[in-house]
Amino acid sequence: MNKLVKLFITSISAITLALVSFSSSFAKVEGEYIVLGSAISLTGKYSSNGVHTQNGYNMAVDRINSMGGVEVQGKKYKFEIIYYDDESNPKRAAQLAERLIKQDGVHYMLGPYSSGLTKAIAPVTEKYKIPMVEANGASRSLFTKGYKYLFAVLSPANQYLEVAIDLAVEKNGGKGVRIAQAFEQDAFSQDVRLGILDAAKRTGSEIIIDDKLPKELNDMAATLAKVKATKPDVLVVSGHTKGALTAIRQISEMKVDVPMLAMTHCDAAKLSKQHGKKSEYALCASQWHKNLSYKDKFFGSGKKYDKDFKKEFGYAPPYQSAESSAALLVFKDAFERANSFDRDAVRDALKTTEMQTFYGNIKFGPGGQNTAKPMILFQVRCKGDECENKVVAPTKWASDKFYHPIPKWSERS
Amino acid sequence: MSNIKQKDLILYSGLIILGLAAPYLFSAFKVQLTYLCVLIVLAMTWNLQGGEMGYNTFGNILFYGLGMYLTASVQVGMFFPLAEWTESGGEKTFVHSTAQYFQGIGVGLLVSAIIPAIVAGAIGYAILGLRGHYFAICTLGLGIAAGEIAGGIEIIGAGQGFTTPPFPAEIVDTEARGKFFYFLSFALLIGTFIFVKYIYGSRFKLILNAIRDNEDKAEAMGIQTMKYKITGWMCSAFFCGLAGGIMGGLIGYIDSTDVAFDGREMGVFMVLMAILGGKGTLWGPVIGATLFHFFKEGLWTLILGWQYVALGVLIVVIVIYFPEGLMGWLREKYPERFGEVIDEKDRKAQVELK
Repeated sequence: MNKLVKLFITSISAITLALVSFSSSFAKVEGEYIVLGSAISLTGKYSSNGVHTQNGYNMAVDRINSMGGVEVQGKKYKFEIIYYDDESNPKRAAQLAERLIKQDGVHYMLGPYSSGLTKAIAPVTEKYKIPMVEANGASRSLFTKGYKYLFAVLSPANQYLEVAIDLAVEKNGGKGVRIAQAFEQDAFSQDVRLGILDAAKRTGSEIIIDDKLPKELNDMAATLAKVKATKPDVLVVSGHTKGALTAIRQISEMKVDVPMLAMTHCDAAKLSKQHGKKSEYALCASQWHKNLSYKDKFFGSGKKYDKDFKKEFGYAPPYQSAESSAALLVFKDAFERANSFDRDAVRDALKTTEMQTFYGNIKFGPGGQNTAKPMILFQVRCKGDECENKVVAPTKWASDKFYHPIPKWSERS
Repeated sequence: MSNIKQKDLILYSGLIILGLAAPYLFSAFKVQLTYLCVLIVLAMTWNLQGGEMGYNTFGNILFYGLGMYLTASVQVGMFFPLAEWTESGGEKTFVHSTAQYFQGIGVGLLVSAIIPAIVAGAIGYAILGLRGHYFAICTLGLGIAAGEIAGGIEIIGAGQGFTTPPFPAEIVDTEARGKFFYFLSFALLIGTFIFVKYIYGSRFKLILNAIRDNEDKAEAMGIQTMKYKITGWMCSAFFCGLAGGIMGGLIGYIDSTDVAFDGREMGVFMVLMAILGGKGTLWGPVIGATLFHFFKEGLWTLILGWQYVALGVLIVVIVIYFPEGLMGWLREKYPERFGEVIDEKDRKAQVELK
């Protein structure tokens, strides 16, 4: 038996040694490539949004590389990304971040998908002083931890649906409304909930249902039964893609009548396509919409981005893809302004970012969150069987009028 | 311990030296090595129930998660108001001083060993009367329920998750954190190994085996099986809790269902590793966990997106070709190396009879 054990140990050590010699390659800038690292959810509960994120990153990498790349100290460089699959699991994400930095030698990171995973990765990048530009971690608690190397191109989660409550109060003649809400048990959705709580307090609204939904939710009938019984003015639901799909499916099945339905992740869930008319009148928070009039020289306008993205990947880009593409524009800009590959120089350059992209204006606040871009609300509207997302708030960008209240199911054809 | 043979002594001291030198030799792999230690601990302790006692538990993840939350809560709660630390908005920032951090994690780990053991005693008293599949299903439910419950408790962060205290900023060396957690987990591994080895030489192990082979007969022989079953589970819980506590500190962020009560991954992995190596043996879980970890770290990223399919194939291969695990397979192939003597004449006689 001992011989076997020894044999086993020798082979293990041999493999380890081989691994060690593999890993010591230095990858921050290799030849003409600037190597970025990212752990992305390709499997697990965030896999669809993980792929949206990855497509966004890839689209921007191709675009920037084909348009001349990044110029640092007079030399042209191209972007390259090393991806790992974090399986939608924070534990795995933290481990992979460590691996990207220590073994692959990555010196600049792109964020993962979702607040929870970003929360798990941020302590690692912070420890090794690795600048990370993330596009999909919106939880407010990310920006209050004093992280110095974290930059988010998106608006924080608590701002997602605050506007919706304001809108409801406005339609109610300035009086407080009765709110029913249901949120998934995860970092992002719980932050959206905090935003609603703040808004309710501010407007004197009352929260009559405050439910928690399990992760990977497929059923919220209990909440909807309560909604039917109590008849609130607003129903707020947030639970990533699955939450949006479940809500619409069950609201239409149970014929729940509510004057206003506010949600997140409608475009990532492709609601207007998947559920068609059933999803009509749903009000959705979004970081971006193709109709906004922002511009940059790489992607042109939002509409052009929408068209190019459709051509490349075969579906309309949700905001998760747009913001991910924007993250690379931010990195490119920072590298060129820093004119150096020194991590701290790049970080300082990131800190002073002030630019416009097709996705929106980007300027980082002291906590690393983007303070220059407002959230928008769109409403699903249908013409015949064709449904589309129309921007209804804030008024500066609104292309259509906000339809309120939602007609009863009995009156809908 | 005077009965340790000289050959063993060389082997063990060699392994310990390798273990102590590992974080310096493979500096970039410290986190993976820490995971390896923890995985081995989980596989070895699962083996006490699944392998020796014949009770296939999926519930050990409960103690792992419990240990994780307890360590972090104690570490924070000793110095700051826990509720404010985990409050959803996270508007306030508290910083542990170096001394506070280490005192906190020390006391936290102590608590994370004792409380899971007590919980195991209490739950064991209630459910260890179940046998076979019923016990397995019941423990599966325990892990899932614990995750859902933890996800609803505000003081430990609920759905927001719990960010564990960051490593003290006063320690400038970026490698210090990795080394600290590695040596902590390595110490746990050695402690667990010594304990399990001690059990393997004791009457306690024989009683567990008797329960596995025929519980009714064991009872008829006057063994109070319930007492031993509970004690065995408490021992596992003790080490699982510690493993969880260390992992919580290492990962830095605790999520109720994905990190702490992670039955889908850790809970399944610990069973798989023990079976892969060979359950019911001392070295089986160690070898199984090591191979599994290498397989996972080495191949996982090469087959991006397909890793769970590969894992499924691995499970099928193990079950079909190595039902007794690697150790069992080797034992069948080279019985003499395991100290088993085969009487050639007798074997031939049997073959000819057929």
